[in-house]
Amino acid sequence: MEYKAPVETYSGKAAEVAIGKGEKVLKIGGESVLPFHFFEGKIENRPRLALEVLDSEPKGWTEWELKPYKDVLADPVAWAKKSLELGADLICLRLVSTDPAGANAPADKAAAVVKEVASAIKSPVIVYGSGDETKDIEVLTKVAEVCAGENLLLGPVAKENYEPIAKAALDHGHCIIAQSPLDINLEKELNVKLLKSFPRERIVIDPLSSALGYGMEYSFTIMERTKHIGVMFGDNTMQMPIIADLGSECARTKQAKESEKQGLLWESITALSLLLAGANILVLRQPESLKLMKEVIEGKI
Amino acid sequence: MILIGESIHIISKHVNDAVKERNPRVIQELAKAQADAGADYIDLNLGPAKRDPEEITQWLVNTIQGVTDLPISVDTLNPVAMEAGLKTCKKRPLLNSASGRTDSKELMLPLAKKYNTDVVISVLTDKGCPPDIDSRIESIMETVALANELGIPNEDIWVDPIILPVSADQKQVREAVEFVGMLADLLPGVKSTVGLSNVSNGTPEELRGILNRTYMIMLGRNGLYSAIADVLDKELVRLNRGELPKIVDLIYKTMDGEPIDLASLSKQEQDYVKTTKVLMAETLYSHAWLES
Ligand code: B12
Ligand code: SF4
Repeated sequence: MEYKAPVETYSGKAAEVAIGKGEKVLKIGGESVLPFHFFEGKIENRPRLALEVLDSEPKGWTEWELKPYKDVLADPVAWAKKSLELGADLICLRLVSTDPAGANAPADKAAAVVKEVASAIKSPVIVYGSGDETKDIEVLTKVAEVCAGENLLLGPVAKENYEPIAKAALDHGHCIIAQSPLDINLEKELNVKLLKSFPRERIVIDPLSSALGYGMEYSFTIMERTKHIGVMFGDNTMQMPIIADLGSECARTKQAKESEKQGLLWESITALSLLLAGANILVLRQPESLKLMKEVIEGKI
Repeated sequence: MILIGESIHIISKHVNDAVKERNPRVIQELAKAQADAGADYIDLNLGPAKRDPEEITQWLVNTIQGVTDLPISVDTLNPVAMEAGLKTCKKRPLLNSASGRTDSKELMLPLAKKYNTDVVISVLTDKGCPPDIDSRIESIMETVALANELGIPNEDIWVDPIILPVSADQKQVREAVEFVGMLADLLPGVKSTVGLSNVSNGTPEELRGILNRTYMIMLGRNGLYSAIADVLDKELVRLNRGELPKIVDLIYKTMDGEPIDLASLSKQEQDYVKTTKVLMAETLYSHAWLES
């Protein structure tokens, strides 16, 4: 008898989110099969790779993490350009300076930096606030307003602060990152609430990405289940693309701080695992692991 | 379905304070309210009953019996409190509960024989709650066989599959319904019971009722004999009495996967359909399951 490889049927399709404007537009998600299942159907857009850029000089980075960016660390625009030269599809600008536990920089100052970066570079921009739920309302609504029309990907938007930030993003034409604390039921709850006033095609899910050895299996399972539920079984509250913000998580590990090689492997293995789980955007720190992921995606290794 | 009123629970602050002060009023009000609402049994949940187990249990049983003739489900893990309670009951009580745990087999099951009671036997083992349907079956077959050896007939045994919260494990919630459906073949003559409200543990308070009610109907369809439940929930009691046949029918249809036109239904009916789907593990649970 002739052998026939089993082929899954899918009743859903990931939402396709377009970020950036004009010539910069980059499409994310939209696949109608599980990750890398080319043999079963169409993967509209390959996973996108972002490099981190900070809005102020990094603290606590190792020597080898600093090395690729050594001339541009004090200048976010130059840093962003450098990141694109190093092969990134887009950049992820972190507004660490706004953290109330740190420099506590005002919202308008941060918004001006975002505007400058977004106008200077040829890729769309992901913007992460400091993660302080209260301060992020101020910062991200300001960013939304100042950068009206740029179609940024803004986050994190959480259960505690989604209303004002989502409204600002909607009013000024941006996409948002819905973040939930490593819990698929809370992830769905936030999606359901957002979808009442926000279009699905402008939301990206951040389920939190833990590093290898520090709970990566939680992140893997949640991303995998999100794709099963959304793409295979067609639950339309779970079809938004996923962002895996893993570079900084990996960098915090003891192993990454110990040696350059170990740090590179830590980030690359975490990145590869989360790609397999279904991540549509990876946020990385190291150009070398970006290169490796690119080769994986292009089928070279 | 036989309903066992769950409200007299030592975890409740009112009940705990009343016990400390030996104040019968709160306890008797709760017993009376549940009897009036239609309970068939009154559950007396004593928790671990560490202090004065005999004296407290007897006082509570007598306090309840002062206002109602309903039989009592003596609910504790402490065998001393259990024995004191069973001794004091005027009507044939329900021993709640024994399990596959070694201490329970040694200390609780013999009490059921000694006092000729009905007895709840849960699937718990020394390793905790069995993780899937096969290990539940394995556990219950073994414990019931032991009970039979002690001279307890299947007719006196109420099997408890152990209900987990839907917010924690939807698959196990669905499997408990299947398990109840298999009991008649596995252990002919046994009865069954569940701690119904556990299914909604962890869900926001105002949304718990509909989970409890829907699950009761689903389990009832598969032959569940009784449930420890919130009998003060009027809609639950009405559903159980068959006064809301349209809702029951909708839940059955949803269980059978029949296509349902949500738009043609009232908000209440839609909510029952959505809740059934969540309890069947067909849609992923979130606290906002009624909102999408
Ligand atoms: C791995 C992990 C765990 C592991 C920790 C293993 C270990 N100690 O090495 C385990 C599974 C044990 C765990 C348990 C819990 N965790 Co945890 N955990 C994580 C996770 C996924 C990664 C953290 C990490 O290791 N980062 C890398 C290391 C190098 O960085 P680090 O920050 O120095 O990590 C240390 C601390 O984060 C600490 N830690 C881990 N969890 C928690 C929770 C609390 C409340 C505290 C004080 C410390 C702490 O242990 C890490 C290693 O030393 C994060 C999610 C995330 N992506 O950040 C959640 C996270 C930190 N955990 C969280 C929670 C709620 C818990 C629990 C309270 C869950 C519970 N209900 O039992 C427990 C409490 C643990 C405790 N008292 O320490 C929350 C904290 C929310 C908050 N802001 O309060 C997070 C953010 C996830 C979430 N939102 O649910 N966790
Ligand atoms: S490598 Fe990651 S997934 Fe594997 S056992 Fe360790 S922590 Fe778990």
